[in-house]
Amino acid sequence: MLEVTDLTVSYGAINAVRGVSLRLAEGELVTLLGANGAGKSSTLLAIAGALKSAGTVRLDGTDVSGWSPERMVRQGIAMVPETRDVFPDLTVAENLLLGAYARRRDRDGVAADRQRMFTLFPRLQERQEQAAGTLSGGEQQMLVIARALMSRPRLLLLDEPSLGLAPTIVDQIFAMIAELKRAGLTILLVEQNASKALAVADRAYVLRLGKVAAEGRAAEIAAASDLEHLYLGG
Amino acid sequence: MKPANILTLVILLGLVGLLVLVPQLVGSRVVERIATALAISLVLVVGLQTFTGNSGILSFAHIGFMGIGAYASAVLTIPVQMRGMALPDLYGVLAQIQVTPMVGILLGGVVAAVVAALVAYPLMRLSDAPAVITSFALLVVIYTVLQHWSAVTNGPRTLFGLPKATTLPLTAGIAAVVIVVALAFKESRTGLLLRASRDDERAAAAMGAGIPALRWQAFILSALIAGIGGALWGHFVTSFSPKAFYLKETFVILGMLVIGGMNTVSGAVIGTFLIALLFEGLRALETALNASGAFADQVVGVTEIVLALAMMAVMFLRPGGLFAATEIGPLILRRFTRRAPP
Amino acid sequence: MQTLLQFTIDVLSLGGAYALMALGLVIVYGILKLVNFAYGELIMVAGYGLFLVNGSGLPWLVMAAVAVLIAVVTGVLTEYAAFRPVRAKSVTAVLITSFAFSTILQNAALLFISPRPRNVPLPDLFSQTVSFGGILIPARNLITIVASIGLLLLFAFLMKRTVLGIAMRAAATQFRMARMLGVPANLIISTAFAISGFFAGVVSLLWIGRIGSVTPGVGLEPLLVAFIATVIGGMRSLQGAVLGGFLLAFINTALNYLLTQDLLQFRDAFTFTLVILILLWRPEGLIRGPATGQRT
Repeated sequence: MLEVTDLTVSYGAINAVRGVSLRLAEGELVTLLGANGAGKSSTLLAIAGALKSAGTVRLDGTDVSGWSPERMVRQGIAMVPETRDVFPDLTVAENLLLGAYARRRDRDGVAADRQRMFTLFPRLQERQEQAAGTLSGGEQQMLVIARALMSRPRLLLLDEPSLGLAPTIVDQIFAMIAELKRAGLTILLVEQNASKALAVADRAYVLRLGKVAAEGRAAEIAAASDLEHLYLGG
Repeated sequence: MKPANILTLVILLGLVGLLVLVPQLVGSRVVERIATALAISLVLVVGLQTFTGNSGILSFAHIGFMGIGAYASAVLTIPVQMRGMALPDLYGVLAQIQVTPMVGILLGGVVAAVVAALVAYPLMRLSDAPAVITSFALLVVIYTVLQHWSAVTNGPRTLFGLPKATTLPLTAGIAAVVIVVALAFKESRTGLLLRASRDDERAAAAMGAGIPALRWQAFILSALIAGIGGALWGHFVTSFSPKAFYLKETFVILGMLVIGGMNTVSGAVIGTFLIALLFEGLRALETALNASGAFADQVVGVTEIVLALAMMAVMFLRPGGLFAATEIGPLILRRFTRRAPP
Repeated sequence: MQTLLQFTIDVLSLGGAYALMALGLVIVYGILKLVNFAYGELIMVAGYGLFLVNGSGLPWLVMAAVAVLIAVVTGVLTEYAAFRPVRAKSVTAVLITSFAFSTILQNAALLFISPRPRNVPLPDLFSQTVSFGGILIPARNLITIVASIGLLLLFAFLMKRTVLGIAMRAAATQFRMARMLGVPANLIISTAFAISGFFAGVVSLLWIGRIGSVTPGVGLEPLLVAFIATVIGGMRSLQGAVLGGFLLAFINTALNYLLTQDLLQFRDAFTFTLVILILLWRPEGLIRGPATGQRT
């Protein structure tokens, strides 16, 4: 479904991503691992169209390289960035509404989806009229995932959902992710928490200094003895 | 001092030297006038650079302080016999004091600096957009006060009688000193800290309480220079009104600074030269057009429009200005000492 | 009692106008974090629009609509000419280009129309007075109060209840994220400028209605008002702009009533001093907006 070839992202003189290639089949959950600064977030942002990049990105055969984020959403890609980026002064309900911006004309469909999100995330329903900036970290993470799902994406890009969250909440989030995978959603997951990510993923890529240093089935990568080495370099 | 900085100093002072030399060689009074006006602009623009370049905040109030300096010097230097006519309502004490223009020019700077110190401290805690627009408001307020404080400024009417004391050598000398001060300030501890805060918002936040005080110092320095520049100008034209210290002039010096490059003293100097010469050319063109009768009405405002378009073009192409980050000295040295790539 | 009533009407009508001025500026600032120095000129072009259609025989409301439309178009034009090419580069670059654009517009008016004031057509209603509670109130002031409150409510409705408004509020704090949800960035920005132009157009009708004529520099005072009102109200919030506008109107009107004749000419200096004191107390303005978000 997703085919990325030779992706390169530079910030001025710094090459954050240097020729990364990866593939996702429909329904797969693939995780992107690596240490801080390995280029994982940049890869995701580039795929979503939020960063200028060189290389090719194909979605179901269509070349979507260099498309703007707005166009990518219409193609069925939804991204949840590492910074979460809730709209702090908008209510939970308004945040969700914006998630479905691309589908806003389908009022009934959007309303139905909103209900579905509230069923999936009861905590959000409780707080639906609250300003999103006042939610706890875990609730915000749930909100941004729900918001991304409102666009009925075919491909979900998740950047470090567990960042800064307490272990119990992290478990809940990953249970949610596993549930989404079971429902058939294709997911590209960037994570620093390798063990949790590998537990839910089908396949994994390990990035190091902007390049793919290893790839394979999740079980293989998990068993790899040099995972630590790949992470920490040296 | 680093060799690169010495080179910058030499080049910039050399340009000022040219400013004195060329009119001598050409022997024309007109050229001398233009050169003097250019030197005064140098004082003003480099003065603006000391604050704006180091703090990153565009100050619209600069010309206001020029006006304060001009009027302060005027009040103290207009010969006492004439003062009764020029400023009939002037307060007793001030009406009797008379100082030489040199002292007047210095005092003009001091008064401007004092006003800046008093008024501006709260504004230094603002950042970015609020700071800029408040400086704009400050300009308007200074203008309003100058316009209405008739006892001291003769109100909106023209104030006559300043002794003509501004010569090209004097102005060029002051311009040279200002350039040295600007470069020194830039590399001083205050200057370095300010520039660090300018470039990195988070570092600025970490430095927290220190920054308003630093900005305040820079602001006072730039107001001092503006006041001196204003007084110099006052003794050059010998008569003026508050209208001379308002939006049009602000636009021109901002143009000079921004096109040259607000972060560098070289930018301020070279920008001033370029725009001043462009202006003279456009003025001549405008006069010629009006004289020739090519258009039915007087052609006015063309100069400003061309300058505005030039500013926009430079912002599109080189938003940092011609000398965006590096002074001319290091720039030249870099060109001549290219090392082999690692 | 009568003085109090007079004072209240004065504050409300001036405050309404000021609030609209401030709002027109903040709409753009809120989303782009960029100051539109050419904002005053939107008011100016609307005024000249009125002047130019004068004598066309059209009913005043139609002429007014044309004037407002001209302001809207100029607002969007400002975006294309002065903002879009430099938006991503730096805050200073945009300040300079919008200041330069403002100069171009003013000098164009100077060159192609006249430096002298030009009369604008005003409806008879504007010069009538209404008797209320024992005082004479210019109908103009009442119209200003009604118009500004009406527009403010309309605007609040737009921001809160429509998808576009919600999208604009979202773009104001997290521009990139809004794009990643499919919100069309450029459309949002152009809409913001169009709305800004609309407010400027309405302000122009009310403001020039007080003066009766338009000059190239007519936009300076509203620009200044908008600047100060937003800085004291809080540049990051729409409510702050409105609050700032009314507060500034209150200060100005109070000074008008309190200052003696010879001090009155320095009223702006006094106002500014009070503004400085407010800023000393609250450098971020009275209403703290949402946390600093990403710039475009």
